[in-house]
Amino acid sequence: MRPRWRKVFLDLFENKTRMLLVVFSIAVGVFSIGVIAGAYVIIENDMSASYAANQPANIELRTADFDRDFLATLENAPDIAEVEGRRVFNIRARPLQSQVWTTLNLVAVDDFENNTVNLLTSLQGASEPAKREALLERKVLDELSAAVGDDLVFQLSDGSTQVLRVAGIVQDPTTGADDFLAPPIVYVTMDTLPYLSQPEAFNRIYATVETGENDDAHIRLTAADLADRMERGGGVDVYRTRIALKNEHPLAPTVNAVLGILMALGILIVFLSSSLIANTLAALLNQHLRHIGVMKLVGGRDNQIFAMYLALILAFGVLALLLAVPFGGIGAYQLSLYIADQLGFTLLGYRIVPFSFVIQMAVGIFVPLFAGFVPVINGSRITVLDALSGDLAHETATRDAAGRRRESVFERLENWFDELLLRRGIHLPRPLLISLRNTFRRQNRLLLTLFTLTMGGAIFIAVFNVRTTLFDYMDNVGRYFVADVTLDFDKPYRLSEVERLARQEPGVVDVEGWAFAAVEVLYPDGTLAENLTVLAPPAGSEMISPDPVAGRWVQAGDTRSIAITEGILRSFPNLKPGDYLDVKIAGNEERWQVVGFFKFIDREGLIAYGTYEYFSRETNLANRSVSFRVLTDQHAEPYQRAMSEKLDKRFRDAGFQVSQARPGLSALDNATESLDILVIFLLIMAMLTAVVGAMGLTGTMGMNVLERTREIGIMRAIGAVDAEIMRMVIVEGMVIGGISWLLGLLLSVPFTYLLSYIVSLAVFETPITVVFTPLGYLIWLALVIVLSALASIIPARNAARLTIREVLAYE
Amino acid sequence: MALQPISPNPNPALIELKDVVKTYSSEAGDFTALKGIHLQVQPGEFLGIVGKSGAGKSTLLNMITGVDRLTSGEVRIRASGQEVSVHSLSENDLALWRGRSMGVVYQSFQLLPMLTLLENIILPMDLCGLYHPRESRRRALQLLEMVEIAEHAHKLPAYISGGQQQRVAIARALANDPPILVADEPTGSLDSVTADHIFDVFESLVQKGKTIVMVTHDMGLMPRFSRHLLLTDGEISPPPASLSSASPRPKK
Repeated sequence: MRPRWRKVFLDLFENKTRMLLVVFSIAVGVFSIGVIAGAYVIIENDMSASYAANQPANIELRTADFDRDFLATLENAPDIAEVEGRRVFNIRARPLQSQVWTTLNLVAVDDFENNTVNLLTSLQGASEPAKREALLERKVLDELSAAVGDDLVFQLSDGSTQVLRVAGIVQDPTTGADDFLAPPIVYVTMDTLPYLSQPEAFNRIYATVETGENDDAHIRLTAADLADRMERGGGVDVYRTRIALKNEHPLAPTVNAVLGILMALGILIVFLSSSLIANTLAALLNQHLRHIGVMKLVGGRDNQIFAMYLALILAFGVLALLLAVPFGGIGAYQLSLYIADQLGFTLLGYRIVPFSFVIQMAVGIFVPLFAGFVPVINGSRITVLDALSGDLAHETATRDAAGRRRESVFERLENWFDELLLRRGIHLPRPLLISLRNTFRRQNRLLLTLFTLTMGGAIFIAVFNVRTTLFDYMDNVGRYFVADVTLDFDKPYRLSEVERLARQEPGVVDVEGWAFAAVEVLYPDGTLAENLTVLAPPAGSEMISPDPVAGRWVQAGDTRSIAITEGILRSFPNLKPGDYLDVKIAGNEERWQVVGFFKFIDREGLIAYGTYEYFSRETNLANRSVSFRVLTDQHAEPYQRAMSEKLDKRFRDAGFQVSQARPGLSALDNATESLDILVIFLLIMAMLTAVVGAMGLTGTMGMNVLERTREIGIMRAIGAVDAEIMRMVIVEGMVIGGISWLLGLLLSVPFTYLLSYIVSLAVFETPITVVFTPLGYLIWLALVIVLSALASIIPARNAARLTIREVLAYE
Repeated sequence: MALQPISPNPNPALIELKDVVKTYSSEAGDFTALKGIHLQVQPGEFLGIVGKSGAGKSTLLNMITGVDRLTSGEVRIRASGQEVSVHSLSENDLALWRGRSMGVVYQSFQLLPMLTLLENIILPMDLCGLYHPRESRRRALQLLEMVEIAEHAHKLPAYISGGQQQRVAIARALANDPPILVADEPTGSLDSVTADHIFDVFESLVQKGKTIVMVTHDMGLMPRFSRHLLLTDGEISPPPASLSSASPRPKK
């Protein structure tokens, strides 16, 4: 090997700490980009592929009961390829040994063998249940422990129980794919229904279209036609229509948006690590000045020196790639697996994603080259004299036109500060003054370090603020979940009857019967725009504390009026309070006035509120209801759960057909749980930025100490003890940490707004009010103090360990 | 690049300094280190520039090598069939020209610590591209033999003595076979016996036709140069009569 290339090779390993620092800082960026880009591609592809492979229904209709004969009449409907009827209802189940009930969705399938829509993938045991057997969707296992061959106890609405044996475990990536918080599903055959006191009738249509299976407008029209046939041709009411494309998982846009946010943070990490690389390379070049001088003395030209150091940077990049690419690939697949598991789809298998590989290569090669370009250009252009005299070591000095050195702004500021203190008779300890001065000696390095640490801190703090913002939003949504127990029945009961029985339970404070209507909001052309659930508490209800963001809330005397969530603006962007919406309720088209908007989480269709007085009459249930809200004297979730159990038992014992009794906070808790996952991902990214920041500080302190070895020797020669030298270095690191914290404090404000805006759009599809919390600021303060102390301790120990002879001999 | 073919001149000097002035500026004021130096060095001379610390010796050497820029005046060097006005070259051109035409030896040896002795010597050949890599290696070994440390060829500089390091530095200065060698206190950090051996090496090089300019503060070395100059406060002063030497080749 030629000597100059051998020098490059040897320089690579000359200082192992520095090499590790550079390699790790490149690798962190490459790794995070690799994980996110890889997961993005895998999920984008597999999520929809796995979804499409299971023949997802393009049309799902929730209807009144109908039979096989009627289903047969729909098979020839225009442009319908396959149509299947199923029966879906809520039921509670528990393992034989357990006393804890879990609410499940029970789906009765007519013919498992000839199933053509929403296919099931058998994971374990039988793929078809026999009579009185059940197949469990694998998510059931997250809620209760059961294995193939076990018995499960199901509770019927009259309080009696039936036992079904678990025949197999299946995966269903399609049913309820747009709502990963829906209860998990159990499958039975139609002839098992009588055992569960259910009629052998269907209440769902699952259909695929013949053409245009990825054409939203076409599917909408076909669905409208199918619903029309059911209502007009067969007198079967259609309560709700849902449409889906074949090749796009319903949650793909949300998942992609979240991955997009993570990607943005990944890019930021790369950006931060590049400033760290620039810093380290500048220091490396500075330490190599004498080498550069010697090479130039014996004939080395700028371009040769430039090429040598560029090769060195490339080698750092290659080492980082060797480390980060395999881990990035594994990380990408693990992240994809986790998301796939959460959302219930399968991956097509481990693989290297070429796109992610190319991006990682590009980041690993070009980012260090880009970051190192300026230091390398400066280093290779230095004159022999400056190089041999190490004249770049005095960065703070500026020069005037005649080449005379002048005091820099920093130096002047320091002098001014010193004089100010002196005039006031304040004497700072000399070692502290040295620490403070040392902090500002290398301004470029200081600025880059501060930049990295500040950005890391600002993101860290912003993530905590975003977390609080999200949860605050959820708390606001909680205004609509004031009730402690939601009590649903299979048939309507008189309000007074239910109230009397509920109040016999100690702890019950109030009971309200709510009206309920499932309606479809229509476009002017009559096709479905949105599914809408109208909840209608009595006017002046104590069970919600509404907070309309525009217009007003519904009030006593309102007819055909609703307050609706802002989600409606997706379909009707120009809708204002006072405007009208065309809706279809129980087969009839009506025109309702929107009196106001409120913020909510729109899952499984939109929510609107009306008044009980009007909607109970509209649904022919005056003074009766199927859904009741109960207020108790305590509101903690465990208490709510206990009260739900008690009320459930009391009503079943009294012969009521209870559908389910749920704690009021359970729906909210499910949504909060999914937010927690997002926040955890954000925190991981925030930790990575903090790590890059800390690495930057460690590198800077290491370089500062190394370059000041001679000074340290002199200080030791004139009497500075180990502790004094260590203290000087650590104080310097903490001063930098402290400054970065103050700057991070300011920068976190715009970051919080930006991140909250992006996250809320991705998750709630609406911007939300930003809330700040001191938590992030305090944690980051503690972290930055610890990190900067740690970052300086190793260099400080090294400095203190050197003997006077060693440091004074240091070149 | 300010390279010109050598014009016909009956007695051309190899190195020629005309009214060279070097002034350093600082906040404390200006300091003139060289005050109009005129100097000619003939081929085959072993010129010693002697002076006390701070007299401007190293500055003068830096003017000749082009390592530092002069304030006014000119340095012309006629070597390798070309005449060069050193300070009109760009840094880049200067580096290549210096690598091919002039070897420089410093008191502190300036060897690259991560390269072996052999590699340190090959480095100038590698950078200037005058020799094929295989030829470079052969030549480097020859030079190591010439300075009598071939047996240490594959050692790192840290593992040999100061005197041996200076021999390597001399061998490296000769790597591209330049006609001129410039040495800044090459024996300054060596003991007297070692220094004497190093001086022997220089003398043998002069015998082989090299032109050497050396600065030293050691007045005792003056008799060993073929010519010497006294530099005092940035000016060349006439040598004391007792020490002046007219003979081109003094005895040891």
